[in-house]
Amino acid sequence: MTDLAWLAVAEGSALVRAGKLSPVEWTQALLDRVAAVDPAYNSFLAVTADLALAQAKQAEAEIAKGEWRGPMHGVPYAAKDIFDVEGLPTTCHSKIRIGHRARFDAFTIRRLREAGAVLIGKTALHEFATGGPAFDLPWPPARNPWNRDRHPGGSSSGSGAALAAGLVPAALGTDTGGSVRNPATCCGIVGIKPTYGAVSLAGVFPLTHSLDHVGPMTRNVEDNAILYQAIAGHDPDDPTSTWRPVDDCLKDLKSGIKGLRIGVIEHFYTEDAKADPDQVRGINAAIDVLRRLGARVRTVRLSPLPLWTDCNRTIHASEAYAIHERDLQSRPEDFAMLTRNRMLPGAFVPASKYIKAQQLRAALCREFDEAMQGLDAVVTLSSLLMPCAIDDTAAVLRTYDQQCRLVFNVTGTAAISVPTGFSADGMPLAMQIAGRSFSEPTIYRIAQAYCEAAGTCIGSDPKTQPKLISAARPAAAE
Amino acid sequence: MSDNAGSDRLRVLAEQAGLGRALEKFPDGVKAAAERGLRPLGDHPKGYDPVAHPAPVFDPTLFERGT
Repeated sequence: MTDLAWLAVAEGSALVRAGKLSPVEWTQALLDRVAAVDPAYNSFLAVTADLALAQAKQAEAEIAKGEWRGPMHGVPYAAKDIFDVEGLPTTCHSKIRIGHRARFDAFTIRRLREAGAVLIGKTALHEFATGGPAFDLPWPPARNPWNRDRHPGGSSSGSGAALAAGLVPAALGTDTGGSVRNPATCCGIVGIKPTYGAVSLAGVFPLTHSLDHVGPMTRNVEDNAILYQAIAGHDPDDPTSTWRPVDDCLKDLKSGIKGLRIGVIEHFYTEDAKADPDQVRGINAAIDVLRRLGARVRTVRLSPLPLWTDCNRTIHASEAYAIHERDLQSRPEDFAMLTRNRMLPGAFVPASKYIKAQQLRAALCREFDEAMQGLDAVVTLSSLLMPCAIDDTAAVLRTYDQQCRLVFNVTGTAAISVPTGFSADGMPLAMQIAGRSFSEPTIYRIAQAYCEAAGTCIGSDPKTQPKLISAARPAAAE
Repeated sequence: MSDNAGSDRLRVLAEQAGLGRALEKFPDGVKAAAERGLRPLGDHPKGYDPVAHPAPVFDPTLFERGT
């Protein structure tokens, strides 16, 4: 059997169902590993060991009685500390939230509880899901398992780090301008931002109301689809939640991509911005793999990347400021500098600019829809640059918007980040595969075919895993 | 505009926004925020006239188009 640290959801679930693996044993092994490894990576803000063991024991008893609930039954996972879990604090990694205690589960947590999943703990994030890795907060920032001195991406940084470090096989993140896909990219894992409305936002602390998405994060594509199936679906408590039935993303997952039409949004990284040559090399090689697998590939053009960035960031700043206005006015010093600097511009955005940004959003959505005519999906880079040093504030600020992820928060359409290999200095590379609304089955199918052919996902083979350092190593920037 | 006039304008803007405390503690951050927030939005895509298109009501069901 695979080392329990690197056991995937699908494999582990099958073993649990067959009675060959105890969920309690799996959970305890991960809790022990978190205790041993995570002091060097700070993935977790809170470890819910008692809850996890109780859920694991319940799962074991139910499965022994033949009451198998589905593929997440008995499977450990973690949630970004922005999801409400009844009786636990939702800190949002912020001093502002100290003393909070959630009265109810978020919809997604409730879904996973009902599916019999095992919550190992709550993971670190960039404060309130924005800003960057901050050293002026009550908790240290999560570290990148591939190199703890480099940015792990964010804002769902702890979820990304925990997966790459073999601490959990599945995690939840949120994504407003790329916050699932950025840590997925930087940590070499798989993260999807599903279609807006596909997964309920109820019980998740908002960053913005019209750009936020909940997204599954895992080490491989099949596991991601399993987690997505478990959390997607209508929620009457979320007015943005779709009534559309959830598509089966697993049925055709492994049916290949022969004949699928894939567009490449190349100008984002060849004309609109200067991308790192390693990232470009990674996506070019990935496109070759897609062609070899039988996809029909052609380039497509959209408006220049800076216009998408402008649109996203204007809406982002305005809506985030509306949520945090009172605290930014009365206790600005309690926010991390990076968070404060991200949110304060919203105070100065005139109403006319916000309305124009929403008009621009409608125009860009229409443009994307037209560009997708005759295509099944598009690919483009995720990050333009490699992750900078985690404690280099100037570099964090400079590189924050050097990315192509926020495009798909503007359109609200599905987009996944998958690993495409490694840079010369051993850091993960990635590309995005994106599509129309509710195209998750196609996106997953392409991602699965690519990752299986390229062998770029972290798996049971130690060659695919990061070399973790001892927890005893002194932290350089803390 | 002189430095004094610029800082007076920033102070007025910050106080109007209730950010007097933030300006006192983080003057550079508030200055950069004002510059960023007030910066005009980029041009709309060619062929799109925002005056002729009313602000959209955000409706997630519209995203189902094309499926």
